Amino acid sequence: MGYWLIEMSPDKPQWLELRRLLISAGSIAIFILIWHILAWWDHQEPDVVVIAYPGEVFVTLINSFVEADYRTYLMHVDIVASLKRLLLGFLLAIGIALPMGLLMGYSYIAMAASKPIVEVLRPIPPLAWLPVFLMLFGNALGPIMIVFVGIFFPVLLAVIFGVRSVPPELIDAARTLGATRLGVFRRVIFPSTVPYLMNGVYIGLGVGWMCIVAAEMLGVEGGGLGSRLWASYETGNYDSMYASIIMLGILGVLTTELARILSSRVRDWMGME
Amino acid sequence: MKKMVAILMAIIIVIAVIAGALYLTLSDGSGEDESIYYTTIAPSNMKIALDGGNVAGYIAWEPYCSDSIVAGVGEALVWSGEIKSDHPCCVVLVSNNFLSSSNGSELTARFLKAHMEATDWINDALSNKSSTNYTALMDMAVAFTSRNSSVVGSAFEHVNFDYAITQEFIDAMVWFTESFIEIGVMTNASLTDRGYTSTEDFAENYVNESHIGDAIEVLPSDTIIGEVRLGFLTGDLHQMAQVVARNESFFGGKSPFEKYGISISVATGAPYVNGPSEMDNFAQGNVDIGYLGAPPAILKHINYPGVQAQIVAQVNTEGSALIVSPGIQSLEDLKGKTIAIPGTGTIQYLLLQVLIRDAGIELKAA
Repeated sequence: MGYWLIEMSPDKPQWLELRRLLISAGSIAIFILIWHILAWWDHQEPDVVVIAYPGEVFVTLINSFVEADYRTYLMHVDIVASLKRLLLGFLLAIGIALPMGLLMGYSYIAMAASKPIVEVLRPIPPLAWLPVFLMLFGNALGPIMIVFVGIFFPVLLAVIFGVRSVPPELIDAARTLGATRLGVFRRVIFPSTVPYLMNGVYIGLGVGWMCIVAAEMLGVEGGGLGSRLWASYETGNYDSMYASIIMLGILGVLTTELARILSSRVRDWMGME
Repeated sequence: MKKMVAILMAIIIVIAVIAGALYLTLSDGSGEDESIYYTTIAPSNMKIALDGGNVAGYIAWEPYCSDSIVAGVGEALVWSGEIKSDHPCCVVLVSNNFLSSSNGSELTARFLKAHMEATDWINDALSNKSSTNYTALMDMAVAFTSRNSSVVGSAFEHVNFDYAITQEFIDAMVWFTESFIEIGVMTNASLTDRGYTSTEDFAENYVNESHIGDAIEVLPSDTIIGEVRLGFLTGDLHQMAQVVARNESFFGGKSPFEKYGISISVATGAPYVNGPSEMDNFAQGNVDIGYLGAPPAILKHINYPGVQAQIVAQVNTEGSALIVSPGIQSLEDLKGKTIAIPGTGTIQYLLLQVLIRDAGIELKAA
């Protein structure tokens, strides 16, 4: 045993990486095994079988990309539909929350004017707007507006906080060097707000996914993962339901990673100012 | 300079986003669209949706059809009987857990006796519109559905009440199952996974006519023998038999159920919004005996969650319709438009699929 440990010295970097991969793969394998056992145990008691076997879920997941279900949508069509709504709501939210947050953080008057309305609307859970927005904006635009509300407030608050958190010494330094008010804003305040903005974006993305799935379960046009999930549940095709859940998890990871890459690019770009 | 470009780009993006969003709302997505779309709306909201132009039509059970017809909001394009003549619709489903309990079998027979008596009473009332029974029936129906008497009167014209289990009934169960498989909501594999060799094998085993045979010999009882937790659908006129069988005031203080020794309690969550939802409640053990459409009773037994139950009696045939806004004359006119359904897995959805596929058109989720 000791001989084996000496051979695979932990100082060798490849061994470290390999060991880490093995442990991760092992833990995922154990997770799937436990899932299978739970599904088997659930199947023993007919009447309320809720857990589908991991095997059938993965087969359905792969199949969903090539074989259209009775909704006539392929999985990638659903994915694109959900992503489109998320992106549109996201852009709309950033487009309004960023300038508004900068203004509110910077200008005492803007803050005093907007704060009461924001403080009244902000605590309302975005999903509470579902029935209203679906009736007002219809099945096509409604879900996008829900995502908008979900992402808007975290981003707004993060930007305001970012503006307020600029160290005063930096502002003084810029002033001393002869910067105008606009110059201070553009060169000092705006760049330092970016990390806070990205934080708001991470939170907003999580809320955004939640909103889009729930909204799609209730009423949507053009497919989507939420609508696939709900339809699978309604017709008792739980393997397809779990496949949708897994797909949502994968997409959540991918979008946050994308946001992370974008944020470091933006930070680089800002750093060159 | 770089900053000017950046700010300009940001403004352009925001404008593009808003413009795109407006385009999405305003464009109807019609044009060369060869498919018909469906979306799920609760039946009580369907008339409003049709009136407001959110949908071009809907398919639902009575009285939600007559709702729009009487109000002039829509017309019936196709009655369900035209899609499949004399098709069974709602059935009485008993959970196996309830049947295997101590007096479950006896209670089921007694329940069915009351169901049969109520059904006969309804048919008798409907055959003589000047009788007191008819007036009482209308009152009960108006109270149960919260609709006025002209809507209810029109609705009754399109529903047939019958409890018998015949070979045609079993053949219809086979047809429902095969239609589900054809649409892709169910597969042959799921049938065999449940332990059935064929659709006929399934229908023979899932429908159990012995209980209604036992029910014929049941006599009234002075005492309450047992409790049944009853499931049914909101305002569903097809299920009028359970409304009548629960009615105490007209029958001299003792409802038909009570006459045969059954105490009814409404199951948790009932009345349910559609059949599949009622099946979920069967799965959770909330319902002992329920009235629901045969297709969801079939679907959620073969698919997850695999409810263990038996169909023990018929409740009604026909009684649903595809209601469309005035001006739509045929299925062709519905291309590119959206129809509301009570939910995938309902008989209405199944019949709609059959209707539209037989016409060679594709039905897609909206």
